[in-house]
Amino acid sequence: MRKVKENNGKNDTHAYDGDGIIVLKNVTKKFGTNVVLDNVSLAIEKGKTTVVIGPSGCGKTVLIKHLIVLLRPSLGEVYFKDRRIDNLGENELNKVRTHYGFLFQGGALFDSLSVTENIIFPIRQHCKITDWKQVEELVKAKLAMVGLDGFQNYFPANLSGGQRKRVALARAIALNPEVILYDEPTTGLDPIRADVINELILKLQRELGETTVVVTHDMTSAYKVADRIIMLHNGKIVADGDADHIRNHPHPVVQQFINGQVSEDDLAVLRMSGTISQAQFLPRDFE
Amino acid sequence: MIGTVGATTIGGVNNIGRFARFVLQSVIASLRSCVRPHAYPLIWTQMNIIGVRSVPVVMVTGAFVGMTLAVQAYGQLAGMGLEEHLGVLINIAVVKELGPVLAAVMLAGRVGGALTAELGTMNVTEQIDAVRSMGTDPIRYLVAPRVLACLLLTPCLIIYADLMGIVGGYFVSVVQLGINNRAYWSFSAFGVELWDVGVGIVKGFFFGVAIAAISCYKGFTCREGAQGVGQACTEAFVASFISILALDYALVVITNAIYDTFWPLKSLV
Repeated sequence: MRKVKENNGKNDTHAYDGDGIIVLKNVTKKFGTNVVLDNVSLAIEKGKTTVVIGPSGCGKTVLIKHLIVLLRPSLGEVYFKDRRIDNLGENELNKVRTHYGFLFQGGALFDSLSVTENIIFPIRQHCKITDWKQVEELVKAKLAMVGLDGFQNYFPANLSGGQRKRVALARAIALNPEVILYDEPTTGLDPIRADVINELILKLQRELGETTVVVTHDMTSAYKVADRIIMLHNGKIVADGDADHIRNHPHPVVQQFINGQVSEDDLAVLRMSGTISQAQFLPRDFE
Repeated sequence: MIGTVGATTIGGVNNIGRFARFVLQSVIASLRSCVRPHAYPLIWTQMNIIGVRSVPVVMVTGAFVGMTLAVQAYGQLAGMGLEEHLGVLINIAVVKELGPVLAAVMLAGRVGGALTAELGTMNVTEQIDAVRSMGTDPIRYLVAPRVLACLLLTPCLIIYADLMGIVGGYFVSVVQLGINNRAYWSFSAFGVELWDVGVGIVKGFFFGVAIAAISCYKGFTCREGAQGVGQACTEAFVASFISILALDYALVVITNAIYDTFWPLKSLV
């Protein structure tokens, strides 16, 4: 069991205890000279909802893609159920990935396929379909779970942003995965639609009991769905614990982020960037 | 300066390596798709999009090639009293070179651009990552059907281009310019061999694979944003065009060498 210990503005050091369904061991990811993840160690607990928070560009999406090895680490190791997976070939990795469901930020539905075809895509790839009636019922059941029964023949272009995410979620759970990864599930949605997605995450976790990892910068969502919250900053884990631990965390970066406060450095940059009247200057002949 | 040259060279070699690996993976995935009946519907769909819908544009290209050749060559041959040999010149040029090359260039523009734009958009909207996240190899699902469709249908489209080139050349030569019909065809039959037609069609297999592989690779590696997709489409067309010309040159050298080996006297005649 993880132990949460208090510190004084220092990073939490207990993010990895070696026990979990997915484990990252000393993972570093570089793109050129840019270090996005810096020696991150983390164990995702089975059957729990782990939320990864952090400012834009801090490496949240890169982290979640490492959990399913859509990106391979520059250094370090990734384990799924005690099996190292970051060094597997694509064929072996594809078998491992059937245990995961991934909800992408924009949904990533296939434009050329209908809602039904999108949902049966993973089933078609991995199962031999003999009874199409049964598959239709399965699609209906999956869509009912996300509240979209009746949308079977729609195409992604005819759906709203929230509906697309819900269809993508139905597709992500098509193979009854053990782990569901959500990449910014509420981004771009109004507060009510965002709450619908939060409720769906909770409902699926409750009914299916699977392991859930959510990447978000929406603190309302994080507090609502999380059993455990991890904060990333500059590619490192700076906080790890339950919602109360994060609320009371002494690290100034954590407090700044969860309260949505601009830093003194950012304010200084804004003050030095010139006056509004300077920014409003236009050439004389501009009409 | 030296650093820049070095970095550019290393970048170029890396790109060639990545492309070679992509082609190898595509070839393996295509061979596997051939023996998997459940992949046939995907190949069939791509054959319809890539092949069937390209027929009109390829036929028009072929017809104009034949017609233009007739108009251009007539003046020179008529000056020497050899206008009845116009059929040989047009039909050899069409079936061996211009038909295959121009049909392939047309396909590189029409099909290659569409493939790059489609896969590039799928790449930037994370649809390719979505395919991978569901445990499916995107090269098997997205690239192999397109490569097979191009491989199988480019030669067929070249046959259409050849036929229309021959018809176009005949129309201008015989109907418009008044060359004797019988002489036109008999000289053509004497000058054009099955080998010439075969060489043109065989080129289609190579052109088809080159167009599909380059276009899919550019789509898979395109940068984010509208500009990234647009640039990938341009690069795909330019690379396909140059590959078609380079492959054409290489195939001409090889096929001529084969012909000279098996029919040494014929080549002298």
